[in-house]
This record gives sequence, structure tokens and C-alpha cells, in this order.
Amino acid sequence: MKKQTLEEAFAQLETVIAKLEAEDISLEESFRVYSEGMELLQFCNASIDTVEKKVLKLNENGELDEF
Amino acid sequence: MKNIYSVTQVNSYIGNMFAQDFMLQAIQVRGEVSNCKYHSSGHIYFTLKDEKAAIACVMFARSRGGLAFRMQEGQQVVVQGSIEVYERDGRYQMYARAITPDGVGLLYEKFERLKSELSELGMFAEQYKRPIPKYIQKLGVVTAPTGAAVRDIIQIASRRNPYVQIILYPALVQGEQAAPSIIKGIHALAGQKVDVIIAGRGGGSIEDLWAFNEREVAQAIFDCPIPIISAVGHETDWTIADFAADLRAPTPSAAAELAVYEFSGLEEKMEEYAAALHRIMMQRCSAYHRDVEKAAALLRAASPMARLKQNRMYLLRMEENLQAAMKESLLRRRHLLQLYAERLKGLSPLDKLSQGFSSVTDVDNKVIADVDRVERGQLLVIHMKNGVVKARAEQVERVIR
Repeated sequence: MKKQTLEEAFAQLETVIAKLEAEDISLEESFRVYSEGMELLQFCNASIDTVEKKVLKLNENGELDEF
Repeated sequence: MKNIYSVTQVNSYIGNMFAQDFMLQAIQVRGEVSNCKYHSSGHIYFTLKDEKAAIACVMFARSRGGLAFRMQEGQQVVVQGSIEVYERDGRYQMYARAITPDGVGLLYEKFERLKSELSELGMFAEQYKRPIPKYIQKLGVVTAPTGAAVRDIIQIASRRNPYVQIILYPALVQGEQAAPSIIKGIHALAGQKVDVIIAGRGGGSIEDLWAFNEREVAQAIFDCPIPIISAVGHETDWTIADFAADLRAPTPSAAAELAVYEFSGLEEKMEEYAAALHRIMMQRCSAYHRDVEKAAALLRAASPMARLKQNRMYLLRMEENLQAAMKESLLRRRHLLQLYAERLKGLSPLDKLSQGFSSVTDVDNKVIADVDRVERGQLLVIHMKNGVVKARAEQVERVIR
């Protein structure tokens, strides 16, 4: 999967859900679209970083110190 | 006796003293405008005052070129001109050659000029505004490392989402060095590949905020490849930086809210998406399941076995019908028979016999009910309840009843 932002992933999820909700979707297509949606969710989960951050400060030499 | 002078001589003498004073001939005086009258002749009369003192001023029509705005009561101005004696009244007053707004006013004019200039250049045009990304990971902040602004930004950003990395560039935000410091900060944070930059400071006077009104700062904001949210002073403070920025936040706190998404909201959104995917898929599956069931039922109904079973059932039912009809028919006839039997019973001569009546026949068993058919000496058979008597007619007598 190409590199994308959460925003793009969410936009794609909206599309996936709309496709899945369509009346005329075939069984095979619905399974394919569903797994695409699950992959997108996995991507979102993976790209969310849940490590708490300390505020950093840029010093004169362009290095980062803890603020 | 010393000399005695006329009033005219005194005032003239003092007038000369003023006229010879180098400083009074070209002086700049700062003060507040009051009693300002624009005369129809083109002259302007006003009083310049401060907390403790006042001086009468006049600007003659010929000097009006030195005034580029309309003076207002209470306005702070710098008046440039000479101070001379008005000999007729024995008063001195200031003759204004140029009047400019003082301090803040000057800055304000500068601000307006730069704003319209940059606006004409298109620096504030909507088409150049970069969208602020919603889900950021790194936030750059250019502001003073102390004070309410940085504290508010860090506090609100961390509360909304503690997982966003904040990188602070500690900048000077006031004084001569502020503009270069802010510009350096913007460049440095762009180099750190942050997703969004907040550039700003807390509230203050127009002089305090001035760095954000410098052309170079506006240019740095405009040129920055990363979206910048300006956050200068309070809601009511507008700076050139605000117009040049991709988004203007009314305060530093508001900037943090605009820049950093709420993590709980993201979690909820993801859960909703997962739930929606599952729900729709389940609905779809059960719909397909129902379709399959329906098809299977149709198929089963159309199978030879089912056809056979159906025929057998039909046969069985027909047999039952037949039997029922037969039984019904028999029953009806039995009833009829019973009915006839009852009726016959009433008519049976045997019944009559049992009550003491007898039946008489000839030897051929033919009933004889008429005496005329009986001859004397004829053999008669008398049928009784429990047997027959054979007798001979002794006498035949006709009786009229």
C-alpha cells in the first residue's frame, strides 16, 4: 500500500463503506472491499503512535533538547 | 528714574528674544490635540497639551501640506514648527509646519501601508493558503520560551493529544531582534519536518506585537512550505503575520486547538469505522444466506423425490376421499333401510296378528279379504301369531257394515 495520511485513509474508508452499502455489489466484490477496509483500519492503527511525547526545544546548534 | 516702556515695546522685545532663539525656530513638540478648529479660511487652530500644560497652536492654510490626516480631539501628535510671540495679545503660540501622528499612530499608519501593499502583491490571497492537516504527528511552535503563550499551547496540545511531538523554537518576540529570531525559528522548524507550525506570542501593545507586522516575517511565513497558524495577542489584535499565515488563530490557546486533533475523537472514529464495516458485512452475509436458503427450498420443492412424495400424498388423499364417500354412501343407505324397516314394521300383518287378529288365506297363500270369495266347505288357512290353523268354511254370511 502506498504511503498515505490518516486523513486519506479515512477518506478511503468512507468510500469502502459506501461501496459495501451499495445494493448491486456482488458477494465476491463485497468480500474484496471488506478486506480492503480491514487493511485500511490496520494501517490507521499502525500509524497511530501512542507513546507520550515530551516537549522538545531546538537549541542554537539546531539540536533538540528536552524543554 | 529708569526708562518706562510701552506695552508694545515690551511685547516686541520679547518677540525678538523668541525670534533669536535657535531652538524655538525649529522645534518638535509632542502632545494631545484639543479644541481643534478647522477654520473656513483653511487655518487650523488647536491646543496641544499634556497632563500638566497646554500651548496654543495654529497651522496656516499655506502650511497645510504638512498635515496628511484629519486631526481628531485627543489624538497624540508630534507638531513640528516654531514658537513665536503674538504681540497684540502678549501671548506666545506654536506655528505648525508639519503634524504627524505620534508613536502608535505612526505604527498604525505603517501597518496599514504594509497591509495594503502586501495585499496588492497577493500575499494574503486565499489561493496561497495551505490546508492545515488534521492528524498531525509533529507540531512546531515559534514563540517565547516563557510566558502564558507557550504554556497555554503546550497545556492544550498535550491535553488534546499527548502523542503529538511538540518542538519549540525559543524565539525573541519583542524588540529589535524579534523579527530575525522569528524568521530563524520558522526556517529551523521547517527543517525539522514538522506538520504544522504555530507562530505567535501573548497579548501586548502594538509596539510589543510589532515584530509580527514586519515585512520580512510576513515573507517568511508566506514562503514556508509547512502550513503556519498565526497566534498573536488577543482576539482583537490583527497583525500582518495573521494575514500572511495559512490560518489565523485568535489566541495561542486557540491555535493549539486548531493544530492538534483530539486523540479520543480519533479512537472513536476508528471504532465507528470498524463497527460499520462489520455491521454492513454481517448484514450482507445474512442477506446472502437468506437468498441461499430460499434457493435451496425452491430446489428441494422441485426435486423428483418431492414430486413423488407430493403424488403419493395426493393418492393417499384421494383414497381417503373415496373411502369416506363410500362410507357415507353406505351409511346413508343403512339409514334409509332403517327408515323403511320402521315403516314396514307398522304395516306388517304379523304385528296385527300379535294383537289377536288373524289373517286368512287360501291354500295358495292368497289373502282372502272378501266373503264373496269364500265358498261353503272351502279350505281356509288362518295365520296366527304363532302358527296356522287349517279350517273349513261352515257358513258364509255377508254382513253389511
